[in-house]
Parts: sequence; C-alpha cells; structure tokens
Amino acid sequence: MLAVNQISKAFGGINAVDGCSMRVERGSITGLIGPNGSGKTTLFNMITGFYQPDGGTILFNDRAIHNLLPSQICHRGIGRTFQITRLFWKMTVLENMIVPVRHTGWRTLFSQGVKKHEEERAMELLDLVGLTQFRDDEAHKLSFGQQKLVEFAAILMSDPDLILLDEPAGGVNPVMIEKIMQLVDDLNQQGKTFLVVEHNMRLVMELCQHIIVLDHGQKIAEGEPSAIQNDPLVLEAYLGSTEHAGA
Amino acid sequence: MTIPSSHLFIQTIILGLLVGGVYALMSSGLTLIFGVMRVINVAHGAFLILGAYLTYWLFQLTGLDPIISIVLTAPILFLIGWGVQRYVLTRLENPERSSVLVTFALAITMEGLMGTFWKTTIRSVKPEYAAEVIKFMTYRIPVTRLIGFGAALLVLLILYIILQRTNLGRAIRATIQDRNAAQLVGVNVQAVSALTFGIGIATAAVGGSLLSMIYSFNASSQTDWITRVLSIIVLGGMGSLPGAFIAAIILGVMEQLTAVMVTLYWSPIVFYLFLFLTLIVRPQGLMGEIVREKA
Amino acid sequence: MKRILFSNRFWLVIILIILLVFPLAQHSQYYQHVMIMTMMAAVLSSSWNILGGYAGYTSLGHAAFFGLGGYLVALAHNYFGWHPFISTWFLAIIVMGIALLLGWISLRTHGSAFVVVTIAMVYIFRLVALNLPEITNGARGLTQPRPGWGGVQWSPEFIKIPFHYIMLLLLCLTILVSWRIRQSKFGLGLIAIREDEGKAEAVGINTMLYKVLAFGISAYFMGVAGGIYSYFFTYIDPQFIFDVFTGVTMVLIAILGGRGTLWGPVLGAFIMEPLGNWIIGEFGGTQIHLTIFGGILLMVMLFMPQGILPTLSNVINQRHKARMAKVVA
Repeated sequence: MLAVNQISKAFGGINAVDGCSMRVERGSITGLIGPNGSGKTTLFNMITGFYQPDGGTILFNDRAIHNLLPSQICHRGIGRTFQITRLFWKMTVLENMIVPVRHTGWRTLFSQGVKKHEEERAMELLDLVGLTQFRDDEAHKLSFGQQKLVEFAAILMSDPDLILLDEPAGGVNPVMIEKIMQLVDDLNQQGKTFLVVEHNMRLVMELCQHIIVLDHGQKIAEGEPSAIQNDPLVLEAYLGSTEHAGA
Repeated sequence: MTIPSSHLFIQTIILGLLVGGVYALMSSGLTLIFGVMRVINVAHGAFLILGAYLTYWLFQLTGLDPIISIVLTAPILFLIGWGVQRYVLTRLENPERSSVLVTFALAITMEGLMGTFWKTTIRSVKPEYAAEVIKFMTYRIPVTRLIGFGAALLVLLILYIILQRTNLGRAIRATIQDRNAAQLVGVNVQAVSALTFGIGIATAAVGGSLLSMIYSFNASSQTDWITRVLSIIVLGGMGSLPGAFIAAIILGVMEQLTAVMVTLYWSPIVFYLFLFLTLIVRPQGLMGEIVREKA
Repeated sequence: MKRILFSNRFWLVIILIILLVFPLAQHSQYYQHVMIMTMMAAVLSSSWNILGGYAGYTSLGHAAFFGLGGYLVALAHNYFGWHPFISTWFLAIIVMGIALLLGWISLRTHGSAFVVVTIAMVYIFRLVALNLPEITNGARGLTQPRPGWGGVQWSPEFIKIPFHYIMLLLLCLTILVSWRIRQSKFGLGLIAIREDEGKAEAVGINTMLYKVLAFGISAYFMGVAGGIYSYFFTYIDPQFIFDVFTGVTMVLIAILGGRGTLWGPVLGAFIMEPLGNWIIGEFGGTQIHLTIFGGILLMVMLFMPQGILPTLSNVINQRHKARMAKVVA
C-alpha cells in the first residue's frame, strides 16, 4: 500500500533519514521503532508532505506522493496524529471534528459550515471514543488523554485508508493505552491500515503484526515482533554494544 | 537607462560601498534583535531618526560634532531600548505574531512625537567638514561618507568583539541559536533579550548620528529607513550579522547604480523589490537558516 | 467558540432604519461626511477582517487595493465617461484579479514576514503610480468631474446623500459576505488556519487556496470603496492613497472592535472614525494624529489585544457562569 524507496533528508549536514526503504502492507498494523534521533518523525513528515525529501520516492497505492502538499496527501487517504497532540484549541470539540471533512468542490466550500449528516457522523465517532458529552466544550479544556482521543477521532472523519500514529501512547495512563490499542485493533478489523511510531514496547509487540526498525536514518531490521525482540542489531541500536556500555 | 562611463561607474560603486557600510551598521541592531527575540522591530527606523534628531539637537545647542555626540546618544538610546523590551515587549502574549504590529504602533507614535517636537522641517547636520571632498586617484569622495564608513566599521568591529569574545556575547549567540537550550544551560534569556534590544537600539543611535551627517531627514523619513533596513536583513538572512553586512553592501551599491543609471526617483524601489523577491524566492535570505516547517 | 452574537434581529433592523433615514434627518454636511467616512472605514476593516481576523494573516498593504480601485475608477471616468457609481463594482473585479495574483505570490510567507511583504507591496504601488505620469499623472494625482448624474451636477446641499446610500449598500454587502463566510466551511477553514496552519493543512485544508481567496475577496470590497472614495473627493494622489498608514488604520479599527468577529470591525469603525475626525478638527495636522493613533494601537495591543467585543463577551460569560453556579449550588 505504501512504498518508501531510498528516501533521504538532510538538515544542514545531519542526515536525518539516509537511504531508507520500507513498505507498509494493506490491512496491517505496522510498527516503526528505533532509538531517539533515528529518523522516525522525519520519515512521518515526509510521508505526510511536511518535508520534501532530498532524494527517493514515496508511493501510495502506486501513485507518487512525495511531492504533494499535505492537504493533497490527506485527500488521497492518509491521516496522521502528531507526537505532541495538535487540535484547534479554541474551537469546540465538535468543530474540531467537522474541519477535517473532505469537501469536494466550490459549492461545498461556501456551503453551510456544520451540516446535519456531518454532525451525526461526528457524534458517532465521538461516541466511539466515549467523548460525546464534550461536544460543545473548547478543546483546550479537555484533559491530555481526552485531547489525544479527540485528535484520533477527528482524523477518522475524513475516512482515511492509512493512518499514521505518532506516539499514541506518549504520556498517557495505562487504562487509556488499553483503550487506544483496542480502538486501533477494532478499526484494523474494519480494514484500516496503521503505521505506528511508538516507544512503548509492550504496545508495539502486542499490537503490531509487522515491525520496522530504524537507526541513524536507515532501516536496520524488520519482521515479526518475536524476531525483532531478539535481533542483535536492534538491541545494539537501543542499548549500545557491550563494548560501549562501560564507557 | 543610461550606461555610465567607466569612471562614473567606479565612482558610483565606491559611493555604494561606503554607504553600504553605514547601512550595515544600521541593520546590525535589527538583525541581532530578531535573532535573539524573533521580534521584527519595525520601530528601528524611528529609532534611527531619533538618534539623528538627538545628534542634530546637540549640534544646534552646543556645536558638538556628530561623531562625538555618539558618546551621549548611544547610552540614552540603549536605556530606551532596554526599557522598551523590558516593559513593553514582555507584556505581549505572542511576541512572534504581534511584535510587528506593536513595534509599528511604537514607530508611528514616535514619528508623531518627533514631528510635533521638531516640526516637519527637513534637517541635517553640517559640521565644518561637511562640504569637503577627498580626491582619491581621480575619484571624489565626500569626507562625511568616509567618516561614516569608518565609524560604521569601527562599531561593527566592537560588536563583533563583544559577540565573539565576551561572556555576554556568548550568551547572546547561544540564545540566537536555540533559546530553550540556552535557558537550560543557565542563560538568563530575559536579561539577554533586554540587553540585546538595548544594544540594538544603541547601534541605531550611532547609525542615526551618521545618518544626520550624510542625509537630510525629518520625522516621516523613518518609513524610508525602516524599509531599507528591513530589506537588508531579509536579504542577508534575519539573525545573521555577516549576512546583514553582505546584503547592506549589495543593496547600497545597487541603490547607487539605479540612481545613476535609471533615475533617482526609482532607486528606492530597489529595496522594496529585493524585499518582496527575497521573501518569496528564498525566504531565509543569503545566510539565514530555514525555519523548520511546523510538523 | 462561545460568543454572544447579536442574534437580536430587532436591533439590526433598528440600526438599519437609522442609517437609512440619517442623511434626510441630519442636514449638517459635516455629520453627513463623517457618517460616510465611518461607513467606509467599517467596509475597509470588515473586509480586512476576512483575511486578517478569520485567517489571522495581518496585511498592512490593503491600501494598495483601495488605491488601485480609486485609480481605475478615476481613469475610466475621465477616459470613457463611466459613472463611478456603476463602474466601481466592475472595476473592483480587476482589482480582485490582481490581488489574487499578488496573494498567490506573497502568501508563501507567514507571520511577520507576510506583514513586511504587504508593506513592501503598498510602497511598490506608490512608486509605480508616482513614476508613470503618462497614466497616473504622477504626483499631481488624478481629478474627476464634480459628482452628478446624467450631466447634472449635484448641489452642495444634496451631494452627500447619494454617497451615503451607496456606501450603506456597500457596507451591507460587505457584512453579508463576511457573515456568509463565517458560517461556511470556507470560514471554518480560515479559522483553522489561524489556530494552527500546519494542522489545518494536515487535515486536508488547502491552506494556500483558502488564504488567496480570502485575500482576493477582501481586496474586492476595498477596490469598490476606493472607487467611491476617489469620486467623493474628486481627487487622488499616490502619496496619500498608497500609504501604509491607511492600512494600519483599518487594522487598528478591526483589532479595537474585535478581530475575527463579525461586528467587531464595524464597532471599531464607529468609534475610531468619528474620534479621528474630532481629533483632526481640534488639533489639526498629521503629527498629533499619528501620535494618538499609534498610542491607541499600542494600548489596545498591550492591554486589550482581543478587542472590545470578545472582551465584553468574556465578561458577560463569566458573569453568566457565576450566576449559574449560584443557581445550581
């Protein structure tokens, strides 16, 4: 579904991503892990159009997306959450849900802002994450975990086929993590594909069917959770080899 | 468009270089302020004119030479700048967004006050050497321009030394590079910001003194000057001192060339056009850093 | 966003009636003049508000389109005999077209850089107008024939009345469009851009398109206003009309009343414009004018950055909440 080919991005001498290639299969929950600075978020940003790659291509459903605007990529069917949750803080939760609706032309652009069927769909999704009672509250008033859920629910409004989650469990309590994992699993059963960046190993090992490991901007391993857990390259990337451990 | 003779051409280039040096001094404060605080001080032109007016006033009252009066005007403007940062700019909730409007408001308030106090008459400072010209080979160089260039270079050198060799300078450079990181290693960024703003406005005092000798001015000249200075720092890369220097020289020369080859009246457009084009084609300027996209 | 909108249609109708009968009831030319200028200020700040308030992109350069409208109308009147009251609505479309182009170029910048670009834009317009005397008559400016209709000049007692009504029409149209935008997806998108442009882009809003459209639409109304203005004063020149200060005034008015709200800019206009006229009358000269305007803008930005309407509605909301808390407790 998603094919990243030899993609690179450098920032003034630092090769954040250096000739990385990977694939995400349709219908999977794929994990993307690696130590800090391995290039995961940079890769995400290139997939979603926030950075232009210096080299390489990214294909989504066999069509190139690496030179598209983020809004165009969103319309192609890719949604993403952010490492640090981003919502329209002064808008209500409902309005946050409505903004991502894909509009299809000039008439819809100037048409009524919040339509009946959109509102219904928004409420459905809010119900899915259990936040319907907050619909008219301004987003900044919700708790951190609730905000994360709203962000997640909102991107579902545009019905993406591939969803990129950037550290969905970051700074969230264990109960909420379970909830998020359950949601991802349910949605995956319904046919949605996920690419998840996470540091929470338990989540990654339990949830993901396939894992890709990055280090220093390159893919160093990929495979099933059990294989990754025992891969010496992966362990070295995270913990450093025994030679360096003492120094 | 008239093609000048090679003699006139070189004469124009020389003048452009000399005036570019002065422009560089004037822009140095502005780019420094932006680097440290991410604030575009649109009032910088007004401060330049304030420096010019103070120099003029001292000259009228006591006959004090414009260069010497820097000793007085620079500390005064340093204090004013420091005060503005400390008491006005810190009040802003979102300095990056609203600083332009606030400093703009400051600029027009200052323009109004200066215009009320000194009226709208065009002024300039004419010390005894004002009309003298030095002949270098076959080229004529006005003494005021030469002194201006010299003074500008001297102050820029001092600024450079402060930045590279002192603790304050190190703190300033750290804050420019990464405000948060600087804070984490113990730099008092609020104090650094206030001091930098003060230093920036003090350079405007020097720039203003030179301005008063070389150009004529009144309160409403501040808009011409802020456009010049803004274009320079945008072209050079906001926050980069060497960039401002290079851009100032380039724009100084281009301005003089346009005045000679096209017409004097179109020459201001050089600045506006460069400003427009730079922001659109290469927003980081010649030497600035690309501000990362919000992702 | 909880705001207390003046959903009270009753008051709207009352105000409209007052504005409709105003020039017939108030015979003082001075007050008629001030009312026209006030309505024009409301048009300018409301249309600025579409880009500056809803989308949060502060443009200080919109005077460029105001002036352009003025010049186009004056030229059309002098060369083709087109009556400004009719031509301005069409010529403003040209203004809008140019604005769309300029917007497409300049909206690649953000925040402070954008403000600076718009300032440069006004000055470029001024320089061009000054230095193309064959078209624009350079610094001497363009004059038009005295206002009238069908060859009959309007008498000095009557003259302000038609201008009052056309300006009122323009104001109503501007408010209507601004309101419609606010209610639409377009408006929601503009506000999303203001709140978090990167996020807006990520959720599928083509931010460039939205911004350019807002830029263009606001330029249209400025162009119409400019056309009426050049006819009203029968004279325009580059120094005066292509000035950042004109742009700043509309920004100040919008901010004072409440940037991003529908009625804020109108409220701001009805406060600042009469006040400004009074100041000029009392103190004369531009210097004091500058000082006071600059000072007010400074004070507003420091102490009441949201503007009057949002601050008021916050106060009312707090009181309401306090009362409700007492009721529930």
